[in-house]
Amino acid sequence: MEYETKSGRAGPGNPTSPRHGVRKNLDFEPLSTTALILEDRPANLPAKPAEEAQKHRQQYEEMVAQAKKRELKEAQKRKKQLEDRCKLEESIGTAAQIWNQEILPNWSATCTSRRVRDLWWQGIPPSVRGKVWSLAVGNELNITHELYSICLARAKEKWRTTPAPSLEIETEDAGSSDRESSLELIKLDISRTFPHLCIFQQGGPYHDVLHSILGAYTCYRPDVGYVQGMSFIAAVLILNLDTADAFIAFANLLNKPCQMAFFRVDHSLMLTYFAAFEVFFEENLPKLFAHFQKNNLTPDIYLIDWIFTLYSKSLPLDLACRVWDVFCRDNEEFLFRTGLGLLRLYQEVLTPMDFIHMAQFLTRLPDLIPADQLFQHIAAIHMTSRNRKWGQVLQALQKDPERGSPVLKR
Amino acid sequence: MQNNHTKEHLFKILVIGDLGVGKTSIIKRYVHQNFSPNYRATIGVDFALKVLNWDQETVRLQLWDIAGQERFGNMTRVYYREAMGAFIVFDVTRPASFEAVTKWKEDLDSKLSLANGKHVATVLLANKCDQGRDVLTNNGIKMEQFCEENGFVGWYETSAKENINIDEAANCLVKHIIATENDMLQSEVPDTITPQLENDRGGTCSSCFRSQ
Repeated sequence: MEYETKSGRAGPGNPTSPRHGVRKNLDFEPLSTTALILEDRPANLPAKPAEEAQKHRQQYEEMVAQAKKRELKEAQKRKKQLEDRCKLEESIGTAAQIWNQEILPNWSATCTSRRVRDLWWQGIPPSVRGKVWSLAVGNELNITHELYSICLARAKEKWRTTPAPSLEIETEDAGSSDRESSLELIKLDISRTFPHLCIFQQGGPYHDVLHSILGAYTCYRPDVGYVQGMSFIAAVLILNLDTADAFIAFANLLNKPCQMAFFRVDHSLMLTYFAAFEVFFEENLPKLFAHFQKNNLTPDIYLIDWIFTLYSKSLPLDLACRVWDVFCRDNEEFLFRTGLGLLRLYQEVLTPMDFIHMAQFLTRLPDLIPADQLFQHIAAIHMTSRNRKWGQVLQALQKDPERGSPVLKR
Repeated sequence: MQNNHTKEHLFKILVIGDLGVGKTSIIKRYVHQNFSPNYRATIGVDFALKVLNWDQETVRLQLWDIAGQERFGNMTRVYYREAMGAFIVFDVTRPASFEAVTKWKEDLDSKLSLANGKHVATVLLANKCDQGRDVLTNNGIKMEQFCEENGFVGWYETSAKENINIDEAANCLVKHIIATENDMLQSEVPDTITPQLENDRGGTCSSCFRSQ
């Protein structure tokens, strides 16, 4: 009995606890320990008392039984994982078929149907993702492949004529605008885009593609130029689309009102977005909202990173792609809804934290985020506030900037 | 229990400077004692917390790692608020990042000052010194003079990669912050300060956070 209370694991009701088991009954035996425990002591030492020998045998048997149980459990877990993976792959395969054969050929007729919306929410299969994104984002700007080539040629011309920043020629009046003028910034940022994937870095397979798209964009929209965060967006598109199509999607994505506001760093409009976010934050998660307010944790602190990179930096890549799936369909509203979903998912974690720990947590989310749970939490966020939808709230705030976040306006 | 009465300081410290000079790397080295050549670009602001034992007192440093792109200036300057000290970082292999140092300093001083009207203690970090010192030697700049003229309390050649001078630089900054804090407390409350008074008012220094 004494042993049992110490071991804690083998409770009295444990059916596998071998009371009078014999070694031969066990088909699993760790090799190294058997002899040591169960052999008699050498002849020149006093023999083990029977009671002790019995106790040792029992301990040994319980250890073996537990190891066996663990092995069995592991095996079951592995089997379950394999099954889950097969199931997932099968469902992705089936979904891909549906997307390819039924939805994509009849895009305009099917894309708003209930069934497609449901499938869409569950994540677009990687093999059709790029196509669906392109269709959903559209090409309002009417950018052609040719325009991309022209912009790229201009960018290359610029790279050639701009002397590489050398250590001696610094006395020239390079001008402060040149520091901002993108080229060096792009270079510096490319190597810091998904570094763990090792494909965008110098010498990596997609380094030049990323460089080209960002460079071409600065020629297409010199008034916007390169802004940090763009490299992440372009990279995600490159992973799912051919270069020219990635550029088209990139330019059109950035042309959406919310993205334009952020990438042009239109401060007052950004504040309006944050204020609208706070309206829905308070509505959906009043307790957490109060906690954030008490700690002076304003939404800009975490939203800037989330919105600028469309979550591609803060979420694991596969999960970020799922957010993009619905973002392409539901637009900016879904970005803020995702943010609220994340806060809802981690509400319990955040509530006991102080400012710095919350800020740290939100600007560096856990490496493993359960996708299904996150999407459940996103689904539970209501994007209506006093009968007004996201767009209406935003519009009202835009008309009446006084109602913006008081903390941020200081 | 003496420990319960240990004084605790909470200092907000900014880490600023041009894009890609190694701000995040320096912080990672300082707080987590490691280095990776693969940090992702900082968008907006990142955070870290470092706890120090300082003369039997506890010093908590809230490090605000602010994105370096000039364009974000408008957006990130709200983050200067209530800081007690700053590191301005440049990359010794990129002259342009050194030229930007005076800009960062002017920007900081124009947007942030202490309750006594003085500028916050700022230490200049010449980072990536493991990769050469061209900027420092070629331009014939006398760093001591540069620091004096531009109001830095000190400068260090640092390497986040090789762990050179990071702790030293941080200690220098903390030393100056604490000195400033003491100055301000003394000038505002000439009599002996009783702990009670301090507790009631959450510290007379407006730049300190109240630790709740």
